[in-house]
Amino acid sequence: MENAPRPASREELNRFLTEHEGVDPRRLVPLPFPYEDWEDAPIPELSEDKRSRIEVGPDGVAAAQIKVPADDEERDRRVAAFLEGLAKLFTKENNWTFLQPLMLSMENCVKCQTCAEACPIYTGSGRMEAYRPTFRAEVLRKIVNRYLKPGGRILPGLRGNDVELSWDVLVSLAELSYRCTLCRRCAQTCPVGVDNALITREIRKLFSQELGIAMPELHETGTIKQLTVGSSTGLNPAGLADIMEFAEEDIQEKTGLDITMPFDVEGAEYLVMHNAGEFLSWPENLQAFAIILELAGVSWTLSSELVGYDSVNYGLFYDDVQYSRIALKHYEVARKLGVRKMMVGECGHAHKALMPIADRLIPEQLRVRTESCLVVLEDIVVNEKILLDPSRNDFPVTLHDPCNITRSMGIVEPQRKILRKIAPRFREMEPHGVHNYCCGGGSGFAICQSMNFPDWRTRVSGRLKFRQILEAFSDCIEPETPKYVCAPCSNCKGQMRDLLNYYEAWDRCGILYGGLVELIVNAMVDVREGFVEWEMH
Amino acid sequence: MPTFTYGDLSIEVDEDGFMQEPEQWNEEVAKALATTEGVDELTDEHWKVVNYLREYYLQFGVAPMIRKLCKETGFNLKKIYELFPSGPAKGACKVAGLPKPTGCV
Repeated sequence: MENAPRPASREELNRFLTEHEGVDPRRLVPLPFPYEDWEDAPIPELSEDKRSRIEVGPDGVAAAQIKVPADDEERDRRVAAFLEGLAKLFTKENNWTFLQPLMLSMENCVKCQTCAEACPIYTGSGRMEAYRPTFRAEVLRKIVNRYLKPGGRILPGLRGNDVELSWDVLVSLAELSYRCTLCRRCAQTCPVGVDNALITREIRKLFSQELGIAMPELHETGTIKQLTVGSSTGLNPAGLADIMEFAEEDIQEKTGLDITMPFDVEGAEYLVMHNAGEFLSWPENLQAFAIILELAGVSWTLSSELVGYDSVNYGLFYDDVQYSRIALKHYEVARKLGVRKMMVGECGHAHKALMPIADRLIPEQLRVRTESCLVVLEDIVVNEKILLDPSRNDFPVTLHDPCNITRSMGIVEPQRKILRKIAPRFREMEPHGVHNYCCGGGSGFAICQSMNFPDWRTRVSGRLKFRQILEAFSDCIEPETPKYVCAPCSNCKGQMRDLLNYYEAWDRCGILYGGLVELIVNAMVDVREGFVEWEMH
Repeated sequence: MPTFTYGDLSIEVDEDGFMQEPEQWNEEVAKALATTEGVDELTDEHWKVVNYLREYYLQFGVAPMIRKLCKETGFNLKKIYELFPSGPAKGACKVAGLPKPTGCV
């Protein structure tokens, strides 16, 4: 087989850690019609000025915005702090959260490289060695073997423990932990069950908790902002009230319905948790939720409490402490309101943060029952609790599966049952369901709009997703036929917007994106026609 | 922290050119920041967008949703992209002296 995967050799590994090699646009996975002649410009290099302040990864890209140390002394101090943190990562007292899966993955990888071909970033990039799923794990393993294991420093080179720790190696490792979207396609295909995405996430955690290095969009303007202002978007309760007032007016104008947004209703059946990004960028999503829930007669409420109106928990992606602070706050808000359950809206990582991860990390007495909106919506649509006219959705629709909802939680059929009922021209992407490809914006990538990272994620991490979208619509690719990529996740939508803009897909192919609830409302008989607006946004 | 200088002006900006201290904003700063966005002259239409963003930000501490911006200014998104080629969030907000939009927006 051409380009067959091969294990990273010692030379390659060290070369990628010390030398810089940018993404070669000619090696990116080619795209089908009408993109055969599409040429990607190289990812721009950071200016000298920026490079004097910010470190870049081995591919010349900067995600974590690591500050250049003032002097060698600071470099040495940082390396020592890393080693100290690394030792903590492997003790129960300091890593009771993920120690077991981390150890299993560190110890059981047989380097068969089955995972490499499953990785959309590795294959999408044209198989760049530094993006191989085992690459960062292998670097970490070599460091652990050499610096933590008894006798590890004796003839390390002969025993394969040939990564010598230095500030440059740490920069590469930290940056490369932000070249994986944590989609876990690698873990799914691994014959031994090794989870290289988990290792990547633990590397991010080590850098965040011990060295204060994290993608700023996740930390400073992410979890920190959410815990202080109330939302990572910076939205405070006054702004929230203004948005909701606008939403009510907008619903009236667009649909003819009079709907009041319910806030802080004690004892409601559901506290609906939206990603606050919806409020600012996709208000039609929260409006559609309100319309469906009201017309289906569901008892629901929103919260106006700090953090309670933003379901995001970026801690999931990089930091256990920040994760726990936000998850506990979410539960506290729900308990105070006395709701029966929380319903997580169209946000993938909030699903994972409030369900499978919280179920394992947060003590039961602190939790509140939580349900996916997809399950509630399935009941409403399939059991016809609202009147639907699917002919209103007479345009091609395909479905993007958010990794956190589908692969990580196994929620596959509810969204499909809904689409089969409301979208007569629904077609699957290949592969789909639990075998989907990440949108390329997972693990917080879609919110990183800094430096040259957006250039990387549209060309590299989103490449296979864009190819899939084109393939799903190959029979109707002409721009005259409007087409809809249904992406029930805020983060995925952000990435879809950037992908479709970068590849000019609206103008060239008539491809638009949006959530699931918008499509449902578009088919509702009780709503004026034309809820989905065919305008790139 | 990078500094943006234009003529006699000197302001602290983040790595993407957004103001660090939005309270230092004034019309001269807007004109200077506009040059980084490929806008050489701020017309009345530009000011309409900038002033609305500015007022909303001062009241609510956050940029308005794009839908509201369009409705209040009477410009559709395409028009806003014509005025500010990098768009409402990256372009118009920067000129209006707002900090960089954050979160899943």
